[in-house]
Amino acid sequence: MLNVEPTLNDDQVMQFIHNGYITLESIIDEDFNRECDAIPGGGLGGFVQTDEFRRNVLLHPEVAGVARSLLGADFLVPTNAHHHLFEAPHRGQTWHSDGLTEYGYGITHLQCYYYPKEVKIEDGPTMILPGSHFRLVDREAIAHYGDILGQLSLTVPAGTVAMTRYGIWHKAGPKLNADRRGMIKFSYFRSSMPKRDWKRESDEIPTYQHKGRHAYVTEVESYRDRQRGQWTWNWLCGLTEVEEELPPKKMFNSGIPLSEISL
Amino acid sequence: MKSALNEWLNDCIDKLNADELTEVDLNSVIDVLRTEKQIILYLYSKSTNLRSPLGAWALYDPAAPDEPVLPSQEPPYSSVLDAVRDGWRIVQFPRPELYSFSDVENAYLNFEFILEKII
Repeated sequence: MLNVEPTLNDDQVMQFIHNGYITLESIIDEDFNRECDAIPGGGLGGFVQTDEFRRNVLLHPEVAGVARSLLGADFLVPTNAHHHLFEAPHRGQTWHSDGLTEYGYGITHLQCYYYPKEVKIEDGPTMILPGSHFRLVDREAIAHYGDILGQLSLTVPAGTVAMTRYGIWHKAGPKLNADRRGMIKFSYFRSSMPKRDWKRESDEIPTYQHKGRHAYVTEVESYRDRQRGQWTWNWLCGLTEVEEELPPKKMFNSGIPLSEISL
Repeated sequence: MKSALNEWLNDCIDKLNADELTEVDLNSVIDVLRTEKQIILYLYSKSTNLRSPLGAWALYDPAAPDEPVLPSQEPPYSSVLDAVRDGWRIVQFPRPELYSFSDVENAYLNFEFILEKII
């Protein structure tokens, strides 16, 4: 099996539990960025299964290292992707989560956004709401939400990959210009129950550290976030008997076990 | 809306005093009333207290141009009460008892006040 080293440590895993995302800026090769920037919008099933895409993006040591850290050893590598391409100005999408919420304590599905080209604020960057990934909502019932304190516009340099817990609220932000703005979306999945096998300095499991209160949440919501984060930490460390469906429901995505890939 | 009506009334009073008020002038109030529009403001308060700070907001103005607007991290008001002070009227208060409550689960943004202005 291809050797993929985990890249996150305990503190970074806790950060991910709290925020629901991590961004890896400017990690993809510039020539490959240019190649991906030129492809048309729509489904990319064939392209993402090429050795070239796997080597440059899906199994890039930093990207795959996060997947390895959060999803375990034999995670499922994406075999499908979608190029979300915007050109004309627009008011932006409404806040939503994709598909079904995949609500649960575990981290079983990482949804990723790869930006082959720099995204500026006027380009209509993807917006995410940190900490929203554990909220159980009907996606159509949050469509009237507007600005939210703590929302984040992913204005990023070319070659950036953002990795999110599936279920995080997101949308394409308002786009003021007619420049091409692309984002390739794909997902990794967990295939086995977790254990604390990411980067670690000792075998002693540290106590979960709540990373503070998101700007938009109320006080009691923050208490719930803390509790929920603790349960997710326990689950990731293999300290709980809570079962999650593995691999999780895959509404629009598919994957192949890392062990079945050779480059 | 209110300022338009005030302006019309002051104009009519002047014309009445000058003995120049006509049916055309009176019909103009109908035109003013026909142009009234409701604008809606959603405010998400950190508690049911109207003085609490805000966590989110959304403005729906049917008269505004349908153009993209950059996102903001500056709430339009410091609280719901601050918006009321500026002339907004509350048309729906949050009713927490209408939603399922869990001591461990978060869901929709709290606490949603819906306000209106007629312009």
